[in-house]
Parts: sequence; C-alpha cells; structure tokens
Amino acid sequence: MEIRNRAFQITAMLIMVALAFTCQVHAKEYKLGLSLAITGPTSDAGNPYAKGVEDYFNFANETKILGKDTIHCSIRDDQYKTSVTKRNFEEFLDDGIVLYLNYSTGSTLGLKKDFEEEEIAVIPASFHAGNLVDSNYIFLPIASYSEQVVSLAEYIAVHNKGDKAKVAMFIHPSAFGRGPVEDAEKSIAAGLNIEIVEVVEHGKDLDSTAMLKRLMSKGVQYVICHTVQSPVAAMIKDASRLGIVAESFGQEGKITFMGAHYTGGNDLIALAGKAAENFYWTTSYNITSEKNDGTEKQLALAKMYNRDDKAANSHNYANGIMVAQVATEVIRRVKEKGLKINRENLYKELNAMNGANAYTPYTTVGPVTYSATDRAGVDMLQIYSVKDGVFRKVGQPITSEFMKKIK
Amino acid sequence: MSYFFQIVVSGIVVGSIYALAALGLVLVYKSSRVANFAHGQLIAAGAFIAYALTVWAKIPVFFSFIISMGATFFLAMSVEKIFLRRLIGEPIISVIMVTIGLASILDGLIYLTPFGSENFSFPAFLPHTPLSYGGVSISWTQLVGVIVTMVLIGGFSWFFKKSTVGISMRAVSDDQFAAMSVGISVQTVFGLAWATAGLSAAAAGCIIGNITGLNFDTLHAFGVVVFPVVILGGLDSILGAVVAGIIMGLIQQFASGYLDGNWGLNGTGEVMPYVILLIILLFKPHGLFGIHEIERV
Repeated sequence: MEIRNRAFQITAMLIMVALAFTCQVHAKEYKLGLSLAITGPTSDAGNPYAKGVEDYFNFANETKILGKDTIHCSIRDDQYKTSVTKRNFEEFLDDGIVLYLNYSTGSTLGLKKDFEEEEIAVIPASFHAGNLVDSNYIFLPIASYSEQVVSLAEYIAVHNKGDKAKVAMFIHPSAFGRGPVEDAEKSIAAGLNIEIVEVVEHGKDLDSTAMLKRLMSKGVQYVICHTVQSPVAAMIKDASRLGIVAESFGQEGKITFMGAHYTGGNDLIALAGKAAENFYWTTSYNITSEKNDGTEKQLALAKMYNRDDKAANSHNYANGIMVAQVATEVIRRVKEKGLKINRENLYKELNAMNGANAYTPYTTVGPVTYSATDRAGVDMLQIYSVKDGVFRKVGQPITSEFMKKIK
Repeated sequence: MSYFFQIVVSGIVVGSIYALAALGLVLVYKSSRVANFAHGQLIAAGAFIAYALTVWAKIPVFFSFIISMGATFFLAMSVEKIFLRRLIGEPIISVIMVTIGLASILDGLIYLTPFGSENFSFPAFLPHTPLSYGGVSISWTQLVGVIVTMVLIGGFSWFFKKSTVGISMRAVSDDQFAAMSVGISVQTVFGLAWATAGLSAAAAGCIIGNITGLNFDTLHAFGVVVFPVVILGGLDSILGAVVAGIIMGLIQQFASGYLDGNWGLNGTGEVMPYVILLIILLFKPHGLFGIHEIERV
C-alpha cells in the first residue's frame, strides 16, 4: 500500500513538473535590442528615450499584451559612438534579436548596409530622410526632418503677411543638420513661396549677435532651426537681448524662430528660459502641456515606473514609448496570425501597417502608416508655440504638401 | 558703422570668456608643463555646482558662484593629489595621458548625476534689458563676464609676478629639480596650480553656463575649444591667453559677420581662427607670448 502511495506521489510530481515545463516551453521570449546615447552627446534626448522604451516593454509584459509571451529588449549605451553602436548591434544579432531599435543619424547611416545584409527591420530615433535612401529595412517612427522643415516652410508661406517670406535656416554642421536643406530647396523649386536667404551652420557660439544682425540686414523674417536645443537656446537668448524676436507669428521687422523635433520641447525652455517665448516647434508627438488621453497614459506610465517629472514630460520619453508600442504591436499582429515571430515576418507585418491596419500609438498626433514604398511612420505634424513658458498647440495637425510633390 | 562696432564688442566679449576658460590650461602648463585634457570637465563641474547651490540649496546666486569657485578649487586640488602627485618626475606624456583618463573619469561621475543628461539654466539674476549705446548692445551677463575675466586675469598676473608662491610656481615650471634644491615644495606648487586652474574653470563655467544654458556637452567642449587660444598666446603666458582670446573672438565674429553668407561661404567663424592660428604659428612657433627656451647641452 505504502509503495503504491509513493508511486502515485512520484507520478503526480512528474506530471506537475512536465506540465510546468510545457507551460515554460509555450511562453516565449522575443529578443529586441536598442543601442543609444544614454550618456555622452545628445544623452539629454537619449536618456528619456531609453526610459520610454524600457517602461513600455515592462508595461507590455506585465499587462500581458502578448499573452504569456514576453519581450526582452536589451538597452545598451553607445555614448553616440558609431563604432560602439556597431559592436552592440553585432552582439544583439548573436543574441538572436528579431527587431532592432537604433538611435542616431550617423550610426543609422553607418549601419545601413548591415541592416540590409541581416534583413532585419530597424526603427531608429533619427528621422533623417537619407536613412530611407537605398534602404529597405529602416522604418522612421515619424515624419522625416525634411518633412518637418518643409512643413514649417509651408506654414510660413501660408501665414506670412506680404510678399515672399525671407527665411534663414540654422542647422547642425552634420548630415543630420544638412539633410532637410536640399528638400527645402527642391520644394521652393516646385513652387513653395518662400526664399531661403541663408543657411547658417552653427558652431559653439558664445555670441550670435553678428549672425543675427546680418540676417536682419538681409531682411530675414523667419529662422527655421534644425539642430539640437543648446545652440538654439544660445541664439534665441541673443535674439531676445537684441529685441528682435517676433511676439506674434510673422511680426514685421522682427524674426520668428521655428524648429524641428530635436530643437524644441521642455529642454529648450529649460535652457533658454524666457527667451524661448514665441518659439514655434513641430513634432509628431503629443506633449504633456496639452493634455489628452495619450498624454494621460504617458504620465501614468511614467508614474507606474517611478520616473521623475522631467522624464515623464519629455517628448523624447514619448518618442521611446511610441517606438516600443510599434514594436509590441507588430509582434502581437504576427502572433495573432499564428506565424512565427522572426525577422522576416515582422518586416512583412511592418510593411502591412497601413490603411485599415494603420496603428495609432497614444503618444503621437496621428497614425503610423508603413508600406513597401513609405517607411516614414506618422505623417502628421503638430505645430506648437511657447506661451507663458509652456508649449501650446497652434492649429490642427498638418502634413506637408510639397514633400509629396518632390518625392 | 554700428554693425562694425557691434562685432568689435561681441568679439571682445567672446574673446574675454575664451581667455578666462583658457586661463586654467595656462596655469597648469605654466607650473607643470602639462596640457590638461580634463579642463572642460572642471569648467562643467564649476557651473553645475553653482547651479545646484543656487537652485537646490537656495543660496543667492552670487554666493553660489563664489562657493562653486571654492569647491572647484578643492576639487582640482584633490584630483591633483590623488591622480597626479605620484607622477612628479615621470615623463610629461604620462601625465598628459593621465589627464585624458581623468577626463573620462570625471565624465563618468557627471553622467551619474542629472547634469550628465539633462538641461538646466541659471535663474535670471541680472537685468534682462541689455546696455545699448549707438546701436551697439551688450548683455549684462556678457558685461559681468568681461569684468570677472579681467579681474581674475589681473589677479593671477599679479600673483605670478609679485607673490612668493607665484614666483615659486614659475620656478617649478622652469626647472623642478633646481626649484626643489632651493626649498620649494614641488608637490605644493602643483597642487596649487591645479587648484587655481579649478577656480578659474569654475568662473568660466558659471559665465558660459549663463550664456548658453547648462548642457554638459556644450560646457565641457569649451575645454577643447580654447586650446587654439592657449597655443596662439603661448602655452605659459597669461597675457598671451588674454590677447589670443580676444584675437580669436574678434576673428570669429568678423568672419561670421562679414564672410558668412557671402560668396557661398558658411561656418567661417569656426574655421578662420584656426587658419589665422596656423599662419601666426608659421612665424611664431611658440605663440605670440610663449617663451622660446634654449637648452645648453
């Protein structure tokens, strides 16, 4: 009797172990990689971006968006060095990642061929239009820098009082900065009613007086910035001191300052203080100073993972969340179809994210639409302007007309 | 004409700040013949300490700047004591390599704080309305920057020429063993050189931080940006740093004001100082005020 009892106990235990093992086998872990600048140059953007990615994947795992399956995203600091990014990417490949999240323009351009060879879909934090040239595997999260700059130029053309608006561009001295200039010039050739008077590539300027006075003497009414916040802050502080910042859009005799995604946000206000007032900025992201369901979810996520106010309210935190949401959603869709989660199927599914299958993350002002011929995610852009120390919406989301013409 | 004078004023302002930022490099080189590649990190540290005291500890900004200069004085002195003291007598290249490593360590430490990856700005404490005369304007921040620079540079010049400690530092710079033989403590002199460099770096950091905002990348880059100033002035000359700083500032502003945007030129404000630097060094390889040493063998 005792032997039979023991045999029963052992059998039951074996069955339980087997069951547990089976459950383990069924719960899959999908590996992703993110290499970015958590420290080093541009880490003011990279740091909250990494937090957004990490928090959303944790949230997705904890709320079982993929059922029992989980996402494991390795996040590594590359200090904005392409050589380190490449090493990280290669190690991620060895780990068996199915989707890769990259960061800078330089490393995205530098590794473009690797992405093609590996046939792996990549979503970078760089919105450089050149990323898409000769590339099939790079998916921009939102409208390209070119689209952002041309949209701002179109906004000027529509709202400028008087003849052809005189515009200067203030850009980062790199491929990242120079990228949109050519598309802005092409748009003008295609009929966009503005004149680019000068393109200024900035350095580490302690005083922009000479440059600003030169622009004033040339009759410049608008400056479109495409760089990072710090040089813009230094310039608009000087402009504010000289009393040449327009208090309303296109104010006569003054300059209206505008900028693309990485020039604005709370970091610009933190650096420039009151001089940021009336700065116009465009991005495809919702911002927390204009509350809606999406920003509430963003703040709730940040609270859930004990992020400080600065990270919680950063548009780069929103940026990170959005990229993680897209990655999670594409895995969910492939899984729903009963297909294997691998590079090939995720790539196909990303390309199918359009029309009725378009996906709207909660941090963006419009849906993500990818296809085999369009790999820029959110096409909509929202213009914001600083009023009383916070960014406020200006009108409704827009899309660029001229970018469609010059493509 | 006001455009011309505005550029002159801007050039002098920028040049003065360059001179102040360069001063720390000169002070360390003057006493130890070492080019300090961690100088930018000291500039950033000084600015961040001042910000933390002002905003977090609620100390009035003026006192925060003074305390920050004091704190960076001791920080730099400690750095010298911990990392560099044991290298006295070793080849200069070894010490320079240590300063490069030191820059990485300080980078890493700053990245552990919010200052490593966030942006801040000092609360406004000077009048916002600039001083203007005849179409030429200068902000209060810039004016204070120029005054602080001149006071510090004047003070250091006096210190090196007239004070016993300053003369000891020059003696150590000239010949360490000879200085030791007359009872000068080389260790103390090196520590003091680093400490005063830290102090001037903090002053530069506070002024630059007020102008550009507090961004670590921007601030520590000034440690490298001012190298041409030091080379042009002559590595061991305080007067040289001032003159070269102002020359660089003027060249930068004139190039930006008159060349950029014309004849298809762009970014000349960044390039021209280096072009002029190369030309001057062709004729004066030791810089404008550098000492041409002749060794008898």
